[in-house]
Formats: sequence, C-alpha cells, structure tokens
Amino acid sequence: MLQVEALHKSYGNHVILEDITFTLEKGDIVGLVGENGAGKSTLLHILATLQKPSKGKLTLNGMTYHWKSLSHIRRQIGFVPQEIAIWDHLTVEENMVFFEKLSWKNKSKEELQNLCLDMKLNRWKEPVHTLSGGMKRKLNLAISLIHEPKLLLLDEPTVGIDLKSKQEIASYLKDLATKRGVAMIYISHDMNEIMNLCDQVFCIGDDSFYDRLLTQAGQEVIRL
Amino acid sequence: MINIIQTRLIQWKKHSLQLLFWLLFPIVVTWIVVTVGNTFQDDMKIPIGIVLQDDTILAKDLYESIHATPFIRTYTLDEREALHKLEKHELDSVFVIQEGYEEHIRQGSRNALITAYESDVSLAYTPVSEMIMSYVQQDAGRSKAAYAVKELAEQLHVHFDWNWDDLIVRSKEIEKKQDLLQTRLTFPGNGIVHRDEGKNLFQPWHIWALAAFLSTLLLFDWVIKENNPAILKRFVFTNVSPKSYFVRNMYVYIALFFTIDLLTAFAFKYIFDEPLSLTLIVSILGYHLMISLGAFLLALMIRKTFVYYAIAFILTFISVIVSGAIIPLDGLLGRYPWLHFLNPLAAFLDGDFFHIGLGVFIVILLLWYGRKEEYHAAS
Repeated sequence: MLQVEALHKSYGNHVILEDITFTLEKGDIVGLVGENGAGKSTLLHILATLQKPSKGKLTLNGMTYHWKSLSHIRRQIGFVPQEIAIWDHLTVEENMVFFEKLSWKNKSKEELQNLCLDMKLNRWKEPVHTLSGGMKRKLNLAISLIHEPKLLLLDEPTVGIDLKSKQEIASYLKDLATKRGVAMIYISHDMNEIMNLCDQVFCIGDDSFYDRLLTQAGQEVIRL
Repeated sequence: MINIIQTRLIQWKKHSLQLLFWLLFPIVVTWIVVTVGNTFQDDMKIPIGIVLQDDTILAKDLYESIHATPFIRTYTLDEREALHKLEKHELDSVFVIQEGYEEHIRQGSRNALITAYESDVSLAYTPVSEMIMSYVQQDAGRSKAAYAVKELAEQLHVHFDWNWDDLIVRSKEIEKKQDLLQTRLTFPGNGIVHRDEGKNLFQPWHIWALAAFLSTLLLFDWVIKENNPAILKRFVFTNVSPKSYFVRNMYVYIALFFTIDLLTAFAFKYIFDEPLSLTLIVSILGYHLMISLGAFLLALMIRKTFVYYAIAFILTFISVIVSGAIIPLDGLLGRYPWLHFLNPLAAFLDGDFFHIGLGVFIVILLLWYGRKEEYHAAS
C-alpha cells in the first residue's frame, strides 16, 4: 500500500533522515519511535505531503508522490496533528460539519455524529472549549477521518490525556484497521500504548534505547 | 463556493451580533453624526478670531470668504480682545488682516498682509492658516492678472480705460458665473461630496466612508483569528487549500459589504436626500473593494488581533485627518498635492471607481496567491 524507498531528508549539511526504506500494508498499525529530534515528525510530515523529501521515492496505492498527483494522494491520507487543531469556539457538531463541508467526502450529520460516538465522543452539542483534553483529542482524530482516508498518520494523538480516553482511542483505531483496512503510522513516547496498539514498531535515530526496551518486552522492532 | 458560504455561516453564527453591529456601524454613525452635527452646528465649528484692521472692499471680501467656510465660526474682535481670548483658549487661532491689506495686494506685495496667532492647543491652526493663505493668493493672483491686462493693452496700443476696481469686480463676476474657483470642502472635481447649500454640516457620504473604513478593517479580524497554523494544516487534506479558503471567504465578505452598501445608498437617498446614481454605486463598490483588499492583506501580515485593532484605529484616524472630514484641507492640498493620493477616500469622494490603492492591492494579492503553498511536497 505505502512504499518508501531510500528516503533522505536534510537541511543543508544537517541530515535528518537517511536511506529510509519500508513498506506498509493495508490494515497495518506501525509505531514510530525514537528520541526527540530523531526525525519522527519530519518523516510523518513527508508521508503526509507536508514536507518535501530531499531524495527518495514514495508511492501510495500505486501513485507516486509528485506535485501533479498531490491532490489524489492527499485524499487517501488522514493526518492527526500533535496540536489540537479544531475551532475552540465552535461546538463538536459545528466543527465536524465545518470540516465536512470542505471535505472530499459528503457525509450526513448522522454519519458525522456516529463517527464521534464510535470513539465515545458524545458531547455533540457542546462547545469545544468546555470539553476535557481527552474529548478534544477524540474530536481532533474524528475530523481527520471524515474523508475516510486509507492511510492514517498520527503524531502523538493522545499526548496529555487520561488512560481511559487513551484506551478508547486505541480500541477505535484497532477496529478501524481491522474492519476497514486503514493503515496507520503512530508516533508516541508511551511504550505501553505502542505495544498495546501496534503490530510492529519502526525505530529511528541513533539511540538504541527504544529498540532494547521494546525488544525486551517482546515487541517486533525494525530499525530504519 | 457554496461550501465556503456554509462554513462562513457556521463562523458567523457564533458572533452574529458583533457582525451585525459592525455592518450597520457606518450607516448608524453617519446618521448620528449628521443629525447631531446639524443640531449643534454652531457649537461644533472651530472658533477663529478675525481682527479686521483694513476697512477696504478686498479686506472685507477676505473676511467674508473666511466667514463662509464651513466648520469655522468667526468672531470679529479687536486685537487685544482676540489675543486675550486666544490665551484663554476660547479661540483656536487669531488672524489679523493688517491695515493696508488691499494696498499691498494692489502693489503686488504679499508680505505682512496677515498676522496669525496660535496657542499651544491650536489644533486647526495649520489648515486654517493654509486656507486663508489660499484666499489671499487668490486675491493677489487676481490683482496681478488685472495689471497684466493693463500691460497687454498698453503693448498692443489698445485704448483702454484702466480701472483696477472694475477689473477685479469683472474678474469676480466671471469667477462666480463659471464657478472656477469654488472653494472645495474636501476635493476638486464633480465628486460625490459637493459643498451643498448648507443642508448638512457634515457630508453623509464622507462620514460613511470613514465609518466604513473602520468597520471593514475591524470585520477582517477573522483573517487573523482563522490564520491558525495547526488548523491550516488540516486544509491540506480538504478540497480547499489554505490560501483558497482565505480568498474565497474574502469574496463572501465583499459580497456582503456590497449588499449592505446598496441598501445604504437607498437609505441615504431617503434619509439625507442624497442623489442616487450609477456613478455613486460604482464608486461605493470600488471604494469598498479597495479597503476590503487592503484590510485582508494587512490582516494576513499580522498575528495578534490587538495589534491589528490598534493599526485599524490609527489608520482610521489618519484618514479622518487627511480626508478633511474635520478640518478643511484646501490650503494644505494646494501646497502638498501628494496628500490627495494618501487619502484612501479621495477617489470615492471624487466619484471615481479607481484609486491607486486598489491597483496596488490587486497586484499584491495576485503575487501572494501566486506564490507556492507552504505545504507542498513533490518528488
């Protein structure tokens, strides 16, 4: 589904990513770990077409990443940013409708509400600024799923929220991968969450701390 | 575009009262200012002391010209009393028409014709003194022309019964008939704002233009509020790019302004008996298009709303001054014509569609829109 071949990214002489190669299949949930500054977010941004690679080839469902095919590539990608990227003054419903109006996929209000309910976000009519951190994170995720992406890129989507909300989100994501075949790359510093959710883990950066930690815990780790 | 309108309606729903307030602000402010201005016409004028030391026709004419200027209330006093009132800040400034004024004009001398006094709180001193100077120059120019006619007659050996007074009177008659030297309240030309027959102290469209300037700037604060980098990243995964989202929303705002402007034009016809014409409507649209583009581009450059609001009020204040809304700028515009181009209201009040600012803003907008999106990946 996603092929990444010999990907390089550097800023001047500073090399961020070097010779990254991997593939991702339908329904795969892959964790992406590494120390701060290892290039996790950069890699995710490149996969999400938000940044250009310096070298390398990326293909998603047979389509090569190229400026001519950007729109088609982006239709297949769901990106969950690290920041809570929602309108704070609007309600959950208004946020969902707002982004649905701009989305490639048309959805009814009922479908949008069900999407929220599936991840236990049941405060449909409430303004976002009154929601808990966990609820906001769920909405952040729900908006990214409106256009039914095939590849979901999540940049620390559960940072700073309670365990219950984390588990509800993880449970929802597993269902999404299993039932709809959505492939996911998931960045997190929470190793329990990574082990609970991911089929395999990609480790980047020079530090082998995460490799050892996850291997000892019986997790399959691939060093990129 | 329908989808953009729907998203805009969602945003508007959250501050509909605020939106309504600023949309109606220009029409309401105009009505209040014109009504209050007419009610308290005399009290709102700038008090100027005139000391008339020369008892000649030319000096009296000059006094009449100053006296007839809107926004100015003249007091004829002796010099001692005038200066006393100036010290007590009862007068903004004092102008003494010196004895021998007419004689000096006749001789072509422009020195020491008027003595002017100001205090440390004379807000209107500069524009009023410039305006009086323009009247004096008008007199001097007329006198010079009379002598030129005399010389010409002598050179051509034409029998000419030379009489300075007759020539001056004749010159004034011609001027009156042809309306060549009509004093402008604000701008020359056959603009929207004419000095009318004393109907209103303040010109409705002039006040409207200033109020619309402020309200348009303030209504464009949505650009700053919605220019949220985290949320804009989301637009990459929608069918509207961030730039396109902003530009299309700007169109929605401009369409809304145009609708309200048309209603305003009809309202002014009935409230203030202002003439309604196609030229007027085109000028209004051109003006509002220009300030909308300017507000949009300004808001794109600013990250903090309070900075934007501060700039909006400062720009409005500058526009109030350079447009001559409060203090007539006849003299200053004569001396510094470039002030006319700085005035964002100039084209509108002249009845023109195009102001240089509109052209500049369109070019900047195209350059900005043409630049590659920040979020752009390619192999």
